Amino acid sequence: MSSRGALAPVPRASAETALRYGPVVLAATAFALPIFWVVVVSLKKQSEYGSALFPADLQWVNYELAVTLADFGRFAVNSLFLSGAYALLAVMVSALVGYGFARHQGPGRNKLFVLVLATWMVPGLVLFVPQFVLFARIGITNTYWPWILWGLSGSPFAIFLFRQFFASFPRELDDAAEVDGAGPLRIFLQIYLPNAGPALAASAIFMFLWVWGDWLYPGLLLHQENTTLAVRMANAYVDPHGNPLQTVTMAGVVLYVLPLIAFFAFAQRFIVRGIVTTGIKG
Amino acid sequence: MAGATHILPRVVPRPALWRRRDVRRAVTFYLLISPWLVGFVLLGAIPLVAAFLMSFTNYDGLNLDYLRIVGADNYVRALGDADAQYALGRTLLLMAIVVPVGLALQLALALMVNQPIRFSNIFRTIFYLPYVIPVVAGVWVWKIFVDPTGGLLNVMLGAVLPDPNIRWLVDYPTAVLAVLTIWGAAGGGMVVFLAGLQGIPAEYREAAMIDGASRAQVTRFITLPLLTPVIFFNLVTGIIVALQILVQPMLLSPGILGLSPGTVPPRDNYLYVVHAYIEIFTKQLFGYGSALLWLLFAVVLGLTLLLLKTSRRWVFYGVEP
Repeated sequence: MSSRGALAPVPRASAETALRYGPVVLAATAFALPIFWVVVVSLKKQSEYGSALFPADLQWVNYELAVTLADFGRFAVNSLFLSGAYALLAVMVSALVGYGFARHQGPGRNKLFVLVLATWMVPGLVLFVPQFVLFARIGITNTYWPWILWGLSGSPFAIFLFRQFFASFPRELDDAAEVDGAGPLRIFLQIYLPNAGPALAASAIFMFLWVWGDWLYPGLLLHQENTTLAVRMANAYVDPHGNPLQTVTMAGVVLYVLPLIAFFAFAQRFIVRGIVTTGIKG
Repeated sequence: MAGATHILPRVVPRPALWRRRDVRRAVTFYLLISPWLVGFVLLGAIPLVAAFLMSFTNYDGLNLDYLRIVGADNYVRALGDADAQYALGRTLLLMAIVVPVGLALQLALALMVNQPIRFSNIFRTIFYLPYVIPVVAGVWVWKIFVDPTGGLLNVMLGAVLPDPNIRWLVDYPTAVLAVLTIWGAAGGGMVVFLAGLQGIPAEYREAAMIDGASRAQVTRFITLPLLTPVIFFNLVTGIIVALQILVQPMLLSPGILGLSPGTVPPRDNYLYVVHAYIEIFTKQLFGYGSALLWLLFAVVLGLTLLLLKTSRRWVFYGVEP
């Protein structure tokens, strides 16, 4: 912002400044306050939960308890593996398929692309129920195979994103590479993929986030031992008498979300750019 | 596939199939999209056909021995199912709140952070944050915020009301669900609006300003009409998402704190997909539940087509960038 300081319009009156900043500050407060409250509760003593507004001493021990009381590490590893494997597979496959749709001709290409978009619109559960029956019949419930299979078949959203992205690449590059004797796979790997940074980042983040945050499918497909952090975090921590420990639960929630926020703070510009360059404008 | 550019030294009357240029191109195309195509057939098309057939049976998810074809019975039953009708009513009500309010908020946020203001990146991040937070965590955020025992909301209300001991999740569960949904979706819609705003050439607004238009007039008569394709996109996706809400009401069920997820949500938040979920996975009525979901799909499709039809009147595609 400071780089264009000399050109930035100077607010003429304080009334105008108030009008410009008032609503946005108010909205930001409303958005952030409940999140802020989670952090506050996570640092209270359990005895302070219903009584004191703010903790007298910050109880960092809650974070320690959140890790030790729930076998947090194991579920985090499960989530990391499942989200990472799915994101990696889905992004690579979707990029390849998107490249196929953007750059190669074949009979029925446009109809097939409409099918890609149509599967995006079918309600998730309509598709999942028969898949669930299928997975149960071939005996891969309680394993991570469903996510691997989903990853290997790509994601309609990401295929769409990559097709739009690659369609804007100059064709001269392909022609030049083709003259040099490169096949389509090499052109994809050496020209398209290395230049797809924003689209790769944006789709990888969304694919990762989808699995990391999903509660429904691991809840239905996995069991208590090999399930993900999302399923574990849906249940409150309890003391030996079965009373809920809101403070420790909130510490667990913070630990569950924190990696994502750090990741996003770093990658935010890619996401906006990914959406701008792919031109999702209806 | 470099062979495609070879010039053959002599005319071959009937080249082998694999040598023909168009065949090679088609094979290349199908090889490239084959992962999706195989996945689509095995995990998309076949299951969808199976699900459709399943909706005409009494399938229970386990036994094929008792499988019977029941014709349109499931659909007849669904149309007369009082729970399904109630749930559809609640779902449409929630949609009627969440979609317009959410859309207006997303647009307002995008307009606000698109101004030349200080810290606009920080504001964007704050508005985007709830969209990044997984549903499980988002539900906890609001459960704790509105909790009568340790929540901040009732404390804040205490500043204006005498004794606000409001049990939000018991007495106003739909309000909490609506706020949670709007809050969680706002960032995603805002980013799409921002992309749309950045696609409007600055000259249009500058020209209007030079002609003496006020800032409000520029927004109303230049920015908004040019944004209608984005509004339409967010409206359609918003409706599709709102009609399928499932996880939030399930996790938001009050019960004993934290031991509740997976149980039936309070009556007010008994939404249509929740009903289908319970019929399928709790009562094991796979056939009947599938019929319920296909009916929803018909409603979603119908609404989308209806919107598409009205869009000709108000969505403005006139300007080439």
